[in-house]
Amino acid sequence: MAQNQDFLVKMKNISKSFGAVKALKNVDFHVKRNEIVGLLGDNGAGKSTLIKILCGVLQPDEGEIFFDGERLDIKSPREARNKGIETVHQDLSLVDTMQIDRNMFLGKEPTKKIGPFRFLDKKRMRQESSRVVGDVGIKVRDPDEFVAILSGGERQAISIGRSVYFDAKLLILDEPLRALSVKEQKNVLQHVKDVRDGGTSVIFISHNVYHAHEVTDRYVILNNGFKQGEILKGDCPPETVSEYVATGEEVDEVLDCSIEL
Amino acid sequence: MGSNKGDSKNNNKEQPELKEKLLDKIKKQPEFGVVIVFILITTFFTILNPAFIRLNNIAGFLTRGAELGIMAVGIAFLMIAGEFDLSVSSVYAFSGFLFIVIAEQIHSIPAFFLALVVAAFIGFINGNIVIRTKIPSFIATLGSMWAVRGLLLGITGGTSVAYTGDEFMPNILVRYFYRNFRPSHIWFIIIVIFMSVLLKQTRYGNWVFATGGKIEVARSLGVSVNKVKVINFILCAVLAGIAGIIAITRFRVASAAFGRMMELEAIASAVIGGTLMTGGYGTIIGAALGAVIMSMLRSGLVMVGAPSYWYNAFVGVILIVAAIVNLKLMKDIA
Repeated sequence: MAQNQDFLVKMKNISKSFGAVKALKNVDFHVKRNEIVGLLGDNGAGKSTLIKILCGVLQPDEGEIFFDGERLDIKSPREARNKGIETVHQDLSLVDTMQIDRNMFLGKEPTKKIGPFRFLDKKRMRQESSRVVGDVGIKVRDPDEFVAILSGGERQAISIGRSVYFDAKLLILDEPLRALSVKEQKNVLQHVKDVRDGGTSVIFISHNVYHAHEVTDRYVILNNGFKQGEILKGDCPPETVSEYVATGEEVDEVLDCSIEL
Repeated sequence: MGSNKGDSKNNNKEQPELKEKLLDKIKKQPEFGVVIVFILITTFFTILNPAFIRLNNIAGFLTRGAELGIMAVGIAFLMIAGEFDLSVSSVYAFSGFLFIVIAEQIHSIPAFFLALVVAAFIGFINGNIVIRTKIPSFIATLGSMWAVRGLLLGITGGTSVAYTGDEFMPNILVRYFYRNFRPSHIWFIIIVIFMSVLLKQTRYGNWVFATGGKIEVARSLGVSVNKVKVINFILCAVLAGIAGIIAITRFRVASAAFGRMMELEAIASAVIGGTLMTGGYGTIIGAALGAVIMSMLRSGLVMVGAPSYWYNAFVGVILIVAAIVNLKLMKDIA
């Protein structure tokens, strides 16, 4: 069992179909502790289906999921969050028409009891959000501001900050750099490294190798619902990885480009 | 140039900055627009006829305002969750009718609650049609609006039914207690406070905002969005039922045509009050004020001697102006 403890996530033999379309075919996937896994693949490769299964939005037709040493059936996003799996969906992690503090605690709002009733603990929501927002280096006058006024990078940063605040063991980032300026991309990548250094594993979904390359430890490439292969980053140039994604050529064993190891 | 804060000039700057901040805060309140409209209309009618703000007249427009307002508050609560309910006017009439019929047989208290259970059931059906079939709630409730109205017409054969039950519920709902003030005005205020607290101060309220704001985000963060929608449909229908029973105990007679088109007035009230048609944003107090404004218009136009036909024209203009003002006020949000 000690060996098992190296793995935070182990998905075994996962299959999922939508009607006649087989989105995932017997995929094995794992994430080690303190590891950033770059999940690559073209549109329709099965990346988001795999992730949706892991964060509780979809249930697999076949296969088993082990998380943090125990076998799990993740039936809902709420259950996933309670286990420590936080997901930042591209464009979909904050509600524009709500204030920052209301967003920060959405689904996990702190309450205080007054008589038989539970009310939002607004003071705590404000204070904690101010702190998280400050920690990720965003300057807003007030956590009472609406999310609509934030830039894309600020939103990603706040979403990541939120995951850290809720003690995520696993952070899933879906195309986190899309539509961000170069400067904002740098910031977000720094946050991702900080998260990993804080002891959280990360799955970084991208269809662009160059986006993920700076932070990724290991790549997993999906193609047409199959796992095409794994590449330990090491000294692998992004061109090599990109080549595999583009050609769909099978990676026989775990490709290891690192000189040592 | 905002970087030279924190030096010796700070003391001089503090005052206006604080004022500006406060002004900014007030402007950002979602009720801001409707309060302005409210003040303008009150001033307008009072100048033309000072009797407009006499207590008895205020009580007069509050009576109708409370009935429309209770319905509008439910509509606003549902609209914030991103859905519509056009069937409220039919539920209003049907609950009132049921109350009269049941109160013929039993005490008016259980009759009141039984009628509301039926209203809740209609809301439950509406909600389930919407979440299961995924047809737009506008269409689903347009259908149930006709279905429930048709049911009422079918049962009554188009004739009206007079109230013959005991006086208990009529007394605690609508009997004058001071001048022309009725308990329904107080019930209205209690309901507004309750719904406003539910929306703004509870976890559930936060889920309502999120469900209407961006449903995928709400779902992925663990909010049971379908449950939220069904509960809101039920609340909306129950509030329409309460409004209907209040009105029925005032008129003491139910007819099949009762409350027709009221669903549009309720939606207009919510929109005048600053609730977004697209969901995710709005206020209970705003919707309540919107309903009172509608009622003030009716009363005010009569008092300044305008033929009551002008009411609709006025409502139309106010609705458009209010919608534009509200949109401008929140342009940095939506």
